[in-house]
Amino acid sequence: MRNGENYNSRRTFLKGIAASLLLLPMLQSCKERVIALLIRLSGTNHILGHRLWVKNFPKPTRQIHIPYLIIGGGISGLSAARQFRKKGISDFLVLELENHLGGNSSNGENQFSKFPLGAHYLPLPNFHDKALLQFLEEEKVILGYDTKGFPEFDEAQLTFTPQERLFYKNDWQEGLVPKYGNSITDEREFQVFFSKMDYFRETKGADGKYLFDIPLANSSRDVETIKLDSITMKQWLDENQLTSGPLIAYVDYCCRDDFGLGVDYVSAWAGIHYFAGRKHNVTSDGKENVLTWPEGNARLATHLKKYSNGKTLKSHLAYEVKIEGDKTVVHAFDDMKKESVEIIADKVVLATPQFINQHLLENRKHIAREFHYAPWLLATLTVSDLTDNYSYPLCWDNVIHGSKGLGYIYDQHQSVRQVQSKKVITYYYSFSSSDIRKSRRTLYKQKKEHWKQMVFDDLKMAHPDIEGKTEEISIHLLGHGMISPVPGFLFGAAKKEAAKSIENKIFFAHSDLAGISIFEEAFHQGINVVNTILDGTTLDS
Amino acid sequence: MGKRFLKFEFLLLLAVFTIATCGLVYELVAGTLASYLLGDSVKQFSFIIGVYLFSMGVGSYFSKFLQRNMLNTFIEIEILVGLIGGLSSVILFLLFESVHYFQFILYFLVFITGCLVGLEIPLLMNILKDRVKFRDLVSNVFTFDYIGALLASILFPLVLVPQLGVMRTSLFFGMINVSIAIVLCFLLKSELKKVYLLKAKAIGSFVLLLVVFIFSDSILSFSEGKLYGENIVYSSSTPYQRIVLTHNKSDYRLYLNNNLQFSSADEYRYHEALVHPVMAMAPKAENVLVLGGGDGLAVREILKYKEVKTITLVDLDEGMTKLFKTNTILTDLNKQSLVNPKVKVLNQDAYIWAKDCIQKFDVVIVDFPDPSNYSLGKLYSLNFYKTLHQVLSKDAVVVVQTTSPYFAPKSFWCINKTMMEVFPQVDAYHAYVPSFGEWGFTIAAKSFATNFNTVNREVKGLRFYNYQFEKLNYFSKDMISKDIEINRLDNQVLVRYFDEEWGKL
Repeated sequence: MRNGENYNSRRTFLKGIAASLLLLPMLQSCKERVIALLIRLSGTNHILGHRLWVKNFPKPTRQIHIPYLIIGGGISGLSAARQFRKKGISDFLVLELENHLGGNSSNGENQFSKFPLGAHYLPLPNFHDKALLQFLEEEKVILGYDTKGFPEFDEAQLTFTPQERLFYKNDWQEGLVPKYGNSITDEREFQVFFSKMDYFRETKGADGKYLFDIPLANSSRDVETIKLDSITMKQWLDENQLTSGPLIAYVDYCCRDDFGLGVDYVSAWAGIHYFAGRKHNVTSDGKENVLTWPEGNARLATHLKKYSNGKTLKSHLAYEVKIEGDKTVVHAFDDMKKESVEIIADKVVLATPQFINQHLLENRKHIAREFHYAPWLLATLTVSDLTDNYSYPLCWDNVIHGSKGLGYIYDQHQSVRQVQSKKVITYYYSFSSSDIRKSRRTLYKQKKEHWKQMVFDDLKMAHPDIEGKTEEISIHLLGHGMISPVPGFLFGAAKKEAAKSIENKIFFAHSDLAGISIFEEAFHQGINVVNTILDGTTLDS
Repeated sequence: MGKRFLKFEFLLLLAVFTIATCGLVYELVAGTLASYLLGDSVKQFSFIIGVYLFSMGVGSYFSKFLQRNMLNTFIEIEILVGLIGGLSSVILFLLFESVHYFQFILYFLVFITGCLVGLEIPLLMNILKDRVKFRDLVSNVFTFDYIGALLASILFPLVLVPQLGVMRTSLFFGMINVSIAIVLCFLLKSELKKVYLLKAKAIGSFVLLLVVFIFSDSILSFSEGKLYGENIVYSSSTPYQRIVLTHNKSDYRLYLNNNLQFSSADEYRYHEALVHPVMAMAPKAENVLVLGGGDGLAVREILKYKEVKTITLVDLDEGMTKLFKTNTILTDLNKQSLVNPKVKVLNQDAYIWAKDCIQKFDVVIVDFPDPSNYSLGKLYSLNFYKTLHQVLSKDAVVVVQTTSPYFAPKSFWCINKTMMEVFPQVDAYHAYVPSFGEWGFTIAAKSFATNFNTVNREVKGLRFYNYQFEKLNYFSKDMISKDIEINRLDNQVLVRYFDEEWGKL
């Protein structure tokens, strides 16, 4: 009996083996073709940039004489170049550390799509921002104006529908504000919050200016409103008894998205500005939308670039700016030729962030110390398929509630093609913490495999099989991703001091001087600095 | 003793009867599924019957190695047959969409079921050989076996498939199979070893089958079998869509991603209405462009006009146009239009193609799928019509299939209004197509001078259109909708309208 039992179970076991031997080849062919995942790592040229710490550059061997020199080929620098040309001046040069122009508005490209390496959209501008509207019209983003005077935006450059979706309680829903699954309290708090934001958006101060405007410098100096800059966004929410979890998560997301820092670290004035600065008054129906392109704001940078065609020195790191007599002498290192060059200019525009300026000019460390820049990580994934639970279709902007990251952009969203053989998405992550320096060290210390895993783990919340479906991942590190307006910064002394020109020879233009890192600010910084220079020149003569 | 023995024998013969019935049912299920899903029913049935009989032989051969615990093994096999046979149709349905070696799994399942059934009869005869006279044994076992087979083959097409459907039939018989095992477990417990384990196995399997049986509807909706009331004569998945051709009496129907594309019985109404009004009113009709319409049926109509020199057809799906160039049923339908020397077939994305196109066309016929998702919605956007405008010759005319003005009036007039933004003259008309219902089209002219009622050319022998445009141009109140927005890439209102309107049905 026992014997028989043994025999039986052994036979069962053998049967099992036989069955699995039969099944094995089936299972194997069933498995998807395993493709070696390709990981790339890129970033701003911090190696070259960090040589500013030691300044071990060779002595200049060449001299260039130029009336106007712009240091920095980001949006403010390029916008300054454009403004020079508009004013009929073309004897200027643009110096850029990277081997391409655009700064935060740069892009990458692979076989399937272009993708942003930084800023990726421009919200519809305010109706009173005539300079920006004019630029957009010149570049055929605005096709004309209707009979009521509203601009007509090019349909193909506005985000296609469906624009945004949120992964919330295991389902995708339309929009970034959760609509389903909220408690009654959550609903009420969202309503209260948005009506407060409506008030801030529409209200003007005693000085006749909007409480919150773009450029930020045009905002009212209303004392009560400016007090908001002394507390964090979280404190403001608390003071207003706004404690709903989903609401805080939403506001936190918005702050991290625009400032790199969350509600716990960012100034309440800045946090509110995110919601109240844009007036939604540029279309007849007041609908919100943004302008976007597969390559992100690199499209706008490309439009601006043409004004400095042939007047650009790329891979040139300015490392010293000094006033000598009635000239400004700039020393720059040519990273291609590995030699230094001396540029002698009448006027210099430093369209560079303050963490760079502290190395170019003397006595600016105390200013730079007050400027905080959140590090950012972008990861562009090429996936064979982007499966999720299909509760709402893939959008341009896809945000996962409760995620540490900022979700991802579908880079091919603006394509009119019916089917994409591979999908390309760009994941955004900002290091929101009280210790930005530490985050920055971590950013450069960790290996690319570490970041790859972080990205996958975050996306897996909504796309469980993303890791198996990813064929290529390009990680882009931005050590100083953007200026982060911590409390006290926007209306503080350091910002004012940093913007002050020196002896009518050295001028400053950068979005960090505005205090928030958005295209509009950089664009106006460029225009304003040139206007200031030329007005000064007029006065001199 | 004798009475008890009679019961024993009777039970086992009942088991034989069941096995035979169930076994044949599984075989028929496999054959039916194979011909549904793979087509060519003669080949499929022939192969399945062959493999099944052969594997029964294999099973019979191996039965001589089973000598211990024969009654236990018999019941175990009974459970296993029920389980594998019962679930076979479910497995095949589920795997069909996603597996390339579907045929291998199909024959593998048939083989296993055959083997197990093949084991049972000899095993049973071995069990009974010492208890029943050999002469009676052989005659009884085979009698029941063949009666079972007859019963199955009559019930299957007449009762089971119409009442239960293929999937539930196999599950149902799986349950019968297993329940015989359960009955045997209880009645023959004194004869069996480890009877509790056996009971547990049997009941567990029964519950599993029952659960799947209960949820078979949702499994079915997963696969497509239920969607088509007709026989599937061809099906294939291209990178873009699933193409299914069905046949019922004299009617062939083509489904793309489960949406009816045409029925051969009435497609002439649709295609005559689509093609001839625009062909008649066009001031010139030498170069014609067709976007979508990879079935070549619109091209068939266009080719009736001798004036036409070239026809360019842009359809995304190479699988589709290839099928309509090669499949004889389909080339009979489109009169081999796609291989006509005047016709150039381009398998490209129409939107992208139009953006890059420098050629100009006199007549454009747009026959895209309905705007049921945001991808397709782009093909009805303002920006698309602006793009299309650039490929038109001076006096060109355009017609667009624009869904049903009866079922989806908002969608219909939304497209109409969107086209009005781009073209100086836009009008709409509709035709009744029985398999679709009331169907609508939007027609537009690049020139103010074009009169939609003019007939510049006509052909004889049409069955539906009589060149009286005004007859199709009248819309009753229930097909009118107002207060609609223009469909733009950045609002895609059309997809929302469409979803709202067709979602109601």
